[in-house]
Amino acid sequence: MPKQIAIYGKGGIGKSSTASNVAAACADEGYRVTIIGCDPKSDSSITLLSGRRIPTIMDLMREGMDIKEEDIVFNGYKGVKCVEIGGPEPGIGCAGRGIIVAISLLKKISKAIEDTDLVIYDVPGDIVCGGFVAPVKKGLVNEAYVLTSGEYMPLYAANNICKGLSRLEMTLNGVICNSRGAPNEENIVSEFAKEIGSQLLAFIPKDVLVQTCEREGFSVIEKAPASNISGVYRKLARSIMTRNEGKIPVPLDDIRLRELTKI
Amino acid sequence: MPVKKEKEPLIMHPRPSSIVAALYTLRDLDTDVVILHGPPGCSFKHARLLEEDGMRVVTTSLDESGFVFGGHDALVEVLEKVIERFNPKRIGIVGTCASMIIGEELHEAVTEVQPDVPVIEVEVHAGYRDNTKGVIMALESALACGIISEAEFERQKALLKEATMVEKRHGAASKEYLEPSRGDLKYKVAERLLELIKQGKKGLNILNAKKETAFMFADINLAVAEVAEKLGKSSNIINMANLDENVGLPKNRRNAREILDDLQKKDMEIHHIIGGLDEYPVAGNNASQIIGEKYPDFDFAVITGVPHALPMDNIKNMELFSITNGPRQVVPLKEMGHKHVVVEIDLHPKTLGVNHIVESEFGATLREMAKNA
Repeated sequence: MPKQIAIYGKGGIGKSSTASNVAAACADEGYRVTIIGCDPKSDSSITLLSGRRIPTIMDLMREGMDIKEEDIVFNGYKGVKCVEIGGPEPGIGCAGRGIIVAISLLKKISKAIEDTDLVIYDVPGDIVCGGFVAPVKKGLVNEAYVLTSGEYMPLYAANNICKGLSRLEMTLNGVICNSRGAPNEENIVSEFAKEIGSQLLAFIPKDVLVQTCEREGFSVIEKAPASNISGVYRKLARSIMTRNEGKIPVPLDDIRLRELTKI
Repeated sequence: MPVKKEKEPLIMHPRPSSIVAALYTLRDLDTDVVILHGPPGCSFKHARLLEEDGMRVVTTSLDESGFVFGGHDALVEVLEKVIERFNPKRIGIVGTCASMIIGEELHEAVTEVQPDVPVIEVEVHAGYRDNTKGVIMALESALACGIISEAEFERQKALLKEATMVEKRHGAASKEYLEPSRGDLKYKVAERLLELIKQGKKGLNILNAKKETAFMFADINLAVAEVAEKLGKSSNIINMANLDENVGLPKNRRNAREILDDLQKKDMEIHHIIGGLDEYPVAGNNASQIIGEKYPDFDFAVITGVPHALPMDNIKNMELFSITNGPRQVVPLKEMGHKHVVVEIDLHPKTLGVNHIVESEFGATLREMAKNA
């Protein structure tokens, strides 16, 4: 059975960048990787496809297509299989239902989430309704990671996600800090991780190289493989692939959370 | 490049909806109680009808608050209540549009409550064009629970595919919109039928009914046999019926046996068994083959139940009397070439909760008119 992971965190905190760089780093090491973008924005896999946008499952469904595997699963960097679920225009229809329908369709018509070593679900920042936890509820995710910076709002979101995970009895396998340059950031996130019963897996420093490569449509792993930041992603990727243990997180109360951001 | 699916516009409701189709399938599987997870108004009519048939159907009564905050707790509560109140041996949980759209996981409640009897979970909504989808989903869950065999599942799936085709070819799904009709006047049709029997014309008397509807349709075939006997012409009539008691889900086998027993008590001989009660989509083909081989020169045919499942090839030169319970089936049957089409209104509700043949209006008409014949 492949390792099936989901990366959670506040919107805009860098989930897609982290997911695509981890995917690329794992592919470099010879793993077969599948990445499923669950955000209606459908930008999870774009840097693995040299900046190309692929049709989303929801795009095809809206047009009433008879959908086959080759219409929705695309080979990206070093054979990483890329799928984008997509969704309706903002303010219309039901994106959550879209995820439920897309996930069951994908299961039915493709082996991309079975015949592989790692499946990464890049889920939207806000789990606003039942559909957004469909991959977890349908038993397609067995490890969860939370991405946060050391600022209050991203930590607040991370803590909320932990509430959701504990309600779903889903284990948390690690916290990743994507630095925004806040003071004492590594300590704050490390302490947060410890207190919720997990640990800090990686500290990703703020590096403009990530954005530069993304603008051109690439991951840093592909475009700047020798850079320091690539090294950080590789280390994170190795740690995800080799570790297994996770614990159901114990969320903090808001007072403690505020205190933490002041240490 | 992906291929665009050709879709005709659908403005007539499938009959019934895929949710209701799943409910009836659970009944055929001898499920004791079904919980409909959704709003209290969903599928209420069929829920009540099925209660008449001995299966409990209850609802989790999701309201606005349930749509917003989820219905997990309500489902757990109702599941516990159902176990306590009804002590069921087999439980079903069926989805609705509302609960499926908000992403309810039926299985979570089952995991939490851990009932010690099998629970068939059907994550179905009513958004499918073919209601047979609801049947297939219910059967898939029954297969996963080990309640039916792989072979039975495959058999059912093939039958359902054919049932869908039958409706699309000549049935209630054959046109964008079909006007309902009460069909021809029963006494006029009975008069003509009696005339043919009296003249000593050779006739086929065919029951090809869907499941429990046979309890009433069989009464018509029985009436035909009785009046032929009364007129001393019974040797001119050949009886066929889809009453094979050895195939199908438990309820269908039981019902076939009950109807056969009733017919036997009335001394009606079935010359050809053309299939089981769930084989109405294909039993017509069997009948057609037998007719082609043995009775191609018969003068008339009475076909009850699903007359449009009988191919026209071998009966097109006969005078056809068809009896249906679908007011929307009249136009398609007339177009196929059935000369007389009679509708037994509200037949289905009268065949729920019964284990004997139920009197039909057309059967009663025939018997009454034969008294003076």
